[in-house]
Amino acid sequence: MFDFLADHQLYIVMLIVLLIWAGFVIYLFRLDGRISKLEEMIQPKPDQPVAEKK
Amino acid sequence: MKSTTAKIGLVLWLTLVICAAILFPMVPAPEKWYEFPIIPGLEEKARIIFFHVPMAWTTVVAFVAAMIYGIRFLMTKNLDYDLRSVSAAGLGTMFCILATVTGSLWAKFNWGSFWNWDPRETSIFVLLLIYGAYFALRSAVDVEEKRATLSAVYAIIAGVTVPFFIFVMPRIMTGLHPGSKGDPQGAGPVVQFKMAPNMLLVFFASLLGFTLLYFWLFNLKVRSSRLELQQQSQE
Repeated sequence: MFDFLADHQLYIVMLIVLLIWAGFVIYLFRLDGRISKLEEMIQPKPDQPVAEKK
Repeated sequence: MKSTTAKIGLVLWLTLVICAAILFPMVPAPEKWYEFPIIPGLEEKARIIFFHVPMAWTTVVAFVAAMIYGIRFLMTKNLDYDLRSVSAAGLGTMFCILATVTGSLWAKFNWGSFWNWDPRETSIFVLLLIYGAYFALRSAVDVEEKRATLSAVYAIIAGVTVPFFIFVMPRIMTGLHPGSKGDPQGAGPVVQFKMAPNMLLVFFASLLGFTLLYFWLFNLKVRSSRLELQQQSQE
């Protein structure tokens, strides 16, 4: 295993990049879920514009 | 980017792009479909093109979006467009910083130094200053509507300079960056002149993935900013 990784260093690079990517994606999904929960709690629905000048 | 299936699809898409960009071997004479040809002068370092260029592209998309929302705010005086404009500008600045950092790392290994004041580096630095000033301007004005109007006008003026700094200036000046005037391949776009079809495929897949990722981030930023505003108005 060690010899394989020593000869194929790009696999280590890919593993590190995929780890960072996985962490970022998990963070985004959790954030998305939490925002959706807050939106359900708060009325009126936040899809509406926040304010409009007449 | 609203449905969960689309988000999972995007994540898988970008994961495949990452794997292809890093793992596909670079060989002098490609025979198999997955082998990339070696680009003289870049070699393995050419892989950065699959991440660095889409980041710069996403910067342009975000800054143009900030400009469009600025125009829509001035037309309607709807503060929601101001919120979208500032969200787009914030994400654009983030991607601009990422493009600068990845470009700088690449420059260290290709040119020998992190920063060389190449026309491309100078233009992206000026762009960062312009959008840094945008946020300084916003933080200097307390009245909400005045701040929105001023920053909308500023976003429009700044947005007009973006194509010049990203696409025009680095190509009309002699520089070290691929695609600049002194480049042996001419002053045309790097990707069309030097990339094999399979590299182009991965490159455009990455471009699409990064653009969609921007829209997801933009959606999250706008929604969280709206919630923040609602909370502030309730206090």
